[in-house]
Amino acid sequence: MFEIYLMLGLSLNLLLGYLGLLSLAHAVFYGVGAYISALLMIRLGMNFFFTLPFSALGCMVLALIIALPSLRLKDDYFMLATLAFQSLVFSIFYNWTSVTRGPYGITGIPSPQLFGYKVSEIWQFCVLGFIFSAAAIYVCKKIHASPFGRTLKAIRDDELLAVSLGKNAAKFKVSAFVIAGGIAAIAGAMIAPYISYIDPTCFALDESFFIITIIVIGGTGNLKGPVIGTFLILLIPEILRFLSIPDAAAANIRQIIYGLLLILMLRLRPQGILGEYGLNKILSPYAQT
Amino acid sequence: MLRLDHVTKHFGGVKAVDDVSLCFKEREISAIIGPNGAGKTTIFNLINGFLRPDSGEILFKTKPITGLPPRRIASCGMGRMFQDNRNFGTLTCLENILLAKKGNPGENPLNSFFAPGKVRRFENSNLKDARKWLDFVDLPNMENVPAGNLSYGQQKLLAFARLMAAEPEFLLLDEPSAGVNPTMIGHILNLIKRIVNDEGKTVVLIEHDMSVILKVTDLVYFMDDGRVRTFGTPEDVLADKRVHEAYLGI
Repeated sequence: MFEIYLMLGLSLNLLLGYLGLLSLAHAVFYGVGAYISALLMIRLGMNFFFTLPFSALGCMVLALIIALPSLRLKDDYFMLATLAFQSLVFSIFYNWTSVTRGPYGITGIPSPQLFGYKVSEIWQFCVLGFIFSAAAIYVCKKIHASPFGRTLKAIRDDELLAVSLGKNAAKFKVSAFVIAGGIAAIAGAMIAPYISYIDPTCFALDESFFIITIIVIGGTGNLKGPVIGTFLILLIPEILRFLSIPDAAAANIRQIIYGLLLILMLRLRPQGILGEYGLNKILSPYAQT
Repeated sequence: MLRLDHVTKHFGGVKAVDDVSLCFKEREISAIIGPNGAGKTTIFNLINGFLRPDSGEILFKTKPITGLPPRRIASCGMGRMFQDNRNFGTLTCLENILLAKKGNPGENPLNSFFAPGKVRRFENSNLKDARKWLDFVDLPNMENVPAGNLSYGQQKLLAFARLMAAEPEFLLLDEPSAGVNPTMIGHILNLIKRIVNDEGKTVVLIEHDMSVILKVTDLVYFMDDGRVRTFGTPEDVLADKRVHEAYLGI
């Protein structure tokens, strides 16, 4: 679980942290990645590992399709456009029953197999997730240190100035979107066999918000932020369980805690615990830090 | 070097720039002066492509650049410094300058993974040049300071260094002396002279400080109400009655 959300957090950070783009459609890539991988395994009997490139590539193309029109819009309107895509893809999951089985979801997703070795125990998934998230961290670290990452942050700080230096801002943004989509797709492909059952509600709008919460709390614009954010966010349910609060109440209390944390963080520390970039600037461009 | 031919730009019913023709020669410092709202900054926006003229043509190095996107015009060798201090506030001074250089292979994310050597080599030479420009504008020991933490004058210097690092041939400087103290103005003027004399750059200024005009410029255009009213050597233009009227009301 931790590794999957870490990958989602890292990939959204490329948009939210590096570019200051508040995308509400991140669960789309997570979901499409999961569905592609699960369906290829069940319908075509493909090996889990061979489905990964299809998931990633499919989501990268989808990211391109979503990014091109959305990125023509600025600030709040960009956010609304991604919200529209999130709703759109959710209803496709829900209503395209011949493929996704709609609200019934896809059951009996087989465990990943590699050279006859079956990944089915929790600890085996942990190892697999660790390998994938290490790869995601490697990719994000490279981007962080590269001139590409630097230019993303420059576009976030002052797009007009970056353009006056000859940077093709649109191309940089679309590239970041595509990379983020690819990483989120792998996270989706991971979750499918891990919980062995997926349905549209796993990839609804609240999932997008949940990933945003990770970044808001952990921090923007570097690698430490998503790591600490994922850790804290996933720790909260465990603490509630430890306090032996009944499940029905715990679910609600959890939501209240997430909501409170979001408000407190945005009010008191908009760049997150270990972040660099204040997210209050996205919603109120005239805010001073 | 740069020519504007009967360029006009309307904003609704307002003629911001009305049939303006300008010509800037290589290795000269020219200035555009005029009261607020005369259309000076609009001219800059038309030149570097932020705005598209309604009619007329702009020729840069004899090639038409009218209507090209700003990044294209920038890659032809046009550099612009903004009136309000613009810097990448959360990036360090060094990063601000590293950004400027054109044709960086590391800006393609794939190269970081598949051609790391190429990216590293470019970055090393870029780093050397960036430090050179920081030295040039005299911002010592500021490498790792976020640009947003600099004072107003230092931010101007940083913007200037970044502009130079982009290696433009032609520089549009929008009020380089505004809002800084006299010592800093002297420092900035020195830098402008040096880049013209030593590096062979061409500079166009927008200026309100007449002492600056007299000290550095070769050619002055006086604009009012979107039109060029007079032009010539700084002495001639400043002696013109219309210039006096516009600035002093007499």
